Amino acid sequence: MKTIKPQNNRQHQLSSCDPRVKLVAALALLVMVISSAGIAFPLLVTAFGLGVCIWLQVPAKQLLMRFAEPLFLVMVVLLLKALFSGGEPLASIDLHWLQLSVSRTGLLEGCRIAARICGAVTLVAALGFATPFTELLAALAWLRLPRGFIEVTVFAWRYLFVLADDAQVIHAAQKNRLGYVGVRRSFRSLGTLAGALVIKAFDSSQTMTVAMTQRGYDGTLPLMKHRPFRPSELLTSLLIVTAMGIFWRL
Amino acid sequence: MPRITLTILLLALATPAHAMHISEGILPLPWAAFWFVVAAPFVALGVRQLNRLAREDLAMKPLVGLLSAVVFIISCMPIPVPTAGTCSHPCGTGIAAILAGPLVSVLISSVALLIQALFLAHGGLSTLGADIVSMGVVGSFVGYGLFRGLRGLGASLGIAAFAAGLLTDWATYLTTSLELASGIRGSAEFLPLFAKIMIAFIPTQLPLGLLEGAMTAGMITLLARKRPDLLVKMKLLKQSEVSGNA
Repeated sequence: MKTIKPQNNRQHQLSSCDPRVKLVAALALLVMVISSAGIAFPLLVTAFGLGVCIWLQVPAKQLLMRFAEPLFLVMVVLLLKALFSGGEPLASIDLHWLQLSVSRTGLLEGCRIAARICGAVTLVAALGFATPFTELLAALAWLRLPRGFIEVTVFAWRYLFVLADDAQVIHAAQKNRLGYVGVRRSFRSLGTLAGALVIKAFDSSQTMTVAMTQRGYDGTLPLMKHRPFRPSELLTSLLIVTAMGIFWRL
Repeated sequence: MPRITLTILLLALATPAHAMHISEGILPLPWAAFWFVVAAPFVALGVRQLNRLAREDLAMKPLVGLLSAVVFIISCMPIPVPTAGTCSHPCGTGIAAILAGPLVSVLISSVALLIQALFLAHGGLSTLGADIVSMGVVGSFVGYGLFRGLRGLGASLGIAAFAAGLLTDWATYLTTSLELASGIRGSAEFLPLFAKIMIAFIPTQLPLGLLEGAMTAGMITLLARKRPDLLVKMKLLKQSEVSGNA
């Protein structure tokens, strides 16, 4: 939770860029990455995404935290594909009690998937770091995502941090009262924590609705209005996507 | 003997349960698109159901938004799993399905998954469709169906909620294994890879399912004890049952 808030509120060079341009460019590159048959193109996108993150001065610790899970998955997929795909063996490891063979086709396939994961993850991370969430939602609404979905996401985002703080306070209080000593107590404490959060959510939604109704809420939220597209932004993103498209075709 | 050692090896490679969301980029385009097509009608029906409910009660949209935030927070709680030596987290869909019904729960899961994909790299945009199907659609319908079925058979709130939470988690992990195996198998056979992925999930998902069940049961019994009016509002209890208890 701590990793979401600060970066999302920061001002940087890409803050002023139209979120629709950033979103459409990122989605186009994402489609290219996941449809790529080779390793080179996803790795190029990985380098591009990392470059954007570094340019936006995302702290290294935050980047590492973001990539920890996908990198672990990359390792698991590589091992699974290399060791259990069958086919022509590239190398064998004899552990006395088990003989493991690394297959050439499996290793190649594993590398392909690993490159795809790296490319796609860095790309989406760069998009997330470059765009405030509310602007991203407005861009998704422009892409004709159902309004109900966008509105629910706006409410969720607005109260996420409040509820997370409440959860932390309840968790700390439970821990101080030995609520997590022993399995049975831990289970009961977690249930109480989840129940308390649900009660908070119910009560907050009622209070919020009353407050919003007094301000004219009729069941639909006004969403952010977009300014007209700037030709320079369109041209730059078109150039990037076209250049990447040429590499993708090669 | 080789089979046993292979199983032990796979158990040692157990993925942490946040891998219950399929990572960004892991599925090739045709599979990613396929799961989006499967998920889309359920999300659309969820939005339609919510709009219908919101016409009757203006507080429904804020409530569903806040429940999405709760599901997001629950699915971010790191819980140590001693059998695997990793941290895992519950998925929270069972709770959402019991409280809001399966269709709105699909919407709640989709929102939580979108925020996780964009800001925590749990799941991804390209795999959002697959993750919605496993966690949102399968998880919600299994959890809700089981809860309602057991309640219909006379089970107590706690037992029905425990079973719903437990099987929601396990059904989600089964579907995720299926999606992963079909997505990454390449030229390999489907069934052996599916079995290997399932085995890799076992050390985290077996205890985690129990934890999810206990958490769901704890939540429902707490609500029944402290705020039965909320369970009446969400049509889980009848007014007469609450008055009877009082």
